[in-house]
Amino acid sequence: MQNLYEGLAEILEVPVEQITPEFSLAGHEWDSMAIISCVALIDEVSGHIVSGSELAKCTSVADIQKLVPSLRAE
Amino acid sequence: MSKCSVKGVAPRGIVCALPANRVENDYFAGRFDEKTIKDVTALTGVSTRYVAAPDQTAGDLCLAAAERLLEDLQWPRESVDALIFVSQTPDQRMPATACILHGRLGLSKNCQAFDVGLGCSGYVYGTWLVAALMAAGVRRVLLLAGDTSSRMINPDDRSTAMLFGDAGSATAFEHDPDAAPAYFDLGTDGSGANFLTVPGGGFRPSDKQDPKADTLHMDGSAVFGFTISTVPKLIKAILVQADLTKDNTDLFALHQANRFILQHIGKKLGLSAEQLPINIDKFGNTSSASIPLLICTDMAKRITAQPMTVLMAGFGVGLSWGAAIFKDVQLQCASVIEI
Repeated sequence: MQNLYEGLAEILEVPVEQITPEFSLAGHEWDSMAIISCVALIDEVSGHIVSGSELAKCTSVADIQKLVPSLRAE
Repeated sequence: MSKCSVKGVAPRGIVCALPANRVENDYFAGRFDEKTIKDVTALTGVSTRYVAAPDQTAGDLCLAAAERLLEDLQWPRESVDALIFVSQTPDQRMPATACILHGRLGLSKNCQAFDVGLGCSGYVYGTWLVAALMAAGVRRVLLLAGDTSSRMINPDDRSTAMLFGDAGSATAFEHDPDAAPAYFDLGTDGSGANFLTVPGGGFRPSDKQDPKADTLHMDGSAVFGFTISTVPKLIKAILVQADLTKDNTDLFALHQANRFILQHIGKKLGLSAEQLPINIDKFGNTSSASIPLLICTDMAKRITAQPMTVLMAGFGVGLSWGAAIFKDVQLQCASVIEI
């Protein structure tokens, strides 16, 4: 999970400490560039390819984690 | 039958042609804000690209490349048995650009000539067609692959306006019974045809009121997802098919779609920067010409000096993909000209 959070912090240009399941993507340029970067990040950390359109619907980090079983916050 | 191998196919030389007009990223200042240009550059890796003049076609670029190639190899024109032109931007609606080029090059009437309408995977498909022709008895083939994608771009679309470049290429193949077998693995997923499309300009009626009907539409994240899920598996499979490993393959000549994609694929496969050269920064995505252009720029010295095992992979519009492996390739010429 730490790899995902570190990667998201880099993509969204915020300190990694700020990344939690509740972190809101809407206020942080969750645009096509960020989404493509996140597709690659999830592939790297979990080996799963998620669709960009599914990622585009996410509003929080928890939503991203729900897309991939191994990334779900239990 | 998407996997196969063919004996006796020897690449002899490649020449690429670029239009003289080089466009830097600062050209887009004013149309896009500074942050957009910075973000797109970071993602695609493109800093400059070459753009064809208004009256310059993919056929013109390929013609210049072919003229130089025939001269460098000293091939008599009557010795060419087949000409294949691969492009998504043909010169005219009819006839086939291959026929026009056949006439402009002064080739023999016994030379077959035909077009193939593929883009990003087109060069690899072209090499497969060359191999298939040679298996059928053809001896010398010119594979011309080029695109002027700039003609289809909506200048206000940030996802495509700064990505594509124009280029043409000519590759000479000769039947050689001593050449190592060439390996091919090709595929298609037409359910993704709408991810990268120009809806107008063909014979299916399109919305004439829509000024963007004749421009390129790209679902970047869908194409990206397709690429990273398809290409690493494709490369691993063809290495097994050719009984090679990543470590004894000298060059992975991948379609230059996007620097971020290429770096991601390289990381997944554990390839070194030397094995996976990237030149999209200088030329943009040149569609069907990107693989020969990569060989003629970053690899020209090595591949003319010593034999190399080359894996090529093209992927994108279609959705379509293909990989090919040529072992012990040593070209007699590999160069780039500007016209």
